[in-house]
Amino acid sequence: MAGDLPRPAAHPVAGNDGKPVQPPAPADRPPGMDGGGRGEAELDARFTFANERTFLAWHRTALALIVAGLAIVQFLPPFPGVPFGRHLLAVPLIILGGGLSVASYREWTRNQRALQRGEPVGASLLPRVLAVAITLLAVAAVILSLLAPATGT
Amino acid sequence: MPRPVTPGPADDIEDRDPGLARERTDLAWTRTAIAFAALGAAMLRTNAVAGALVMVTGAAVWGLGQLSARDFGPVGGRPRLGRRHTVQIITGATTLVSLVALLLVLLGPAQGHP
Repeated sequence: MAGDLPRPAAHPVAGNDGKPVQPPAPADRPPGMDGGGRGEAELDARFTFANERTFLAWHRTALALIVAGLAIVQFLPPFPGVPFGRHLLAVPLIILGGGLSVASYREWTRNQRALQRGEPVGASLLPRVLAVAITLLAVAAVILSLLAPATGT
Repeated sequence: MPRPVTPGPADDIEDRDPGLARERTDLAWTRTAIAFAALGAAMLRTNAVAGALVMVTGAAVWGLGQLSARDFGPVGGRPRLGRRHTVQIITGATTLVSLVALLLVLLGPAQGHP
């Protein structure tokens, strides 16, 4: 499996194989450096860029969820017999998008701090949360679709 | 147990040309700005003002990305500005947009009726 192979040194934080990856610790890194925006000048720009790209990718995912929620209410015809069926799907999608935005910021801060301290970058919980949430919503959509024709008209 | 990755021989093009990381990040910013613009376009149908504002936010995000890309000098150099504020602005914008979308869905006129 590709995920079990050791990563090249140039991409210690580029992917997420579920295992913490130790970034190379430069010898001139000051000890006890704090995370976030402070002291990030000491970090290799490539690691900062990689962390930023991951953050932006999560935000695009969040925006896609929000668009999906809006589209369900705006473009989908109502489920016959289930008056709030569309809102039942749309509202959780939009809330999930907003929550993902805040959670990805926390991930960015955590990763940035770990990189600056030379600590392992831990695995993210966000993919699991997203997968579970989308699965639940898909199940809800299937149930609504099956339920609507039986109770409608 | 964490697996340490030790620096090895240059086996990636990025080691020879690390500026590609900046270019990829620049493109990621552009894609994010397009996502904001697409969301604004979707909102136009329900509320023109909110949609236009979100589209303007997309343009602002693109500008912020350009600013962020220029923040670093040569790769490995020191940034002139902190990136935390940039990231905070994007997070705030996305959260705000999600709240606006929620309000539009809950309070806006229902569409798609036959």
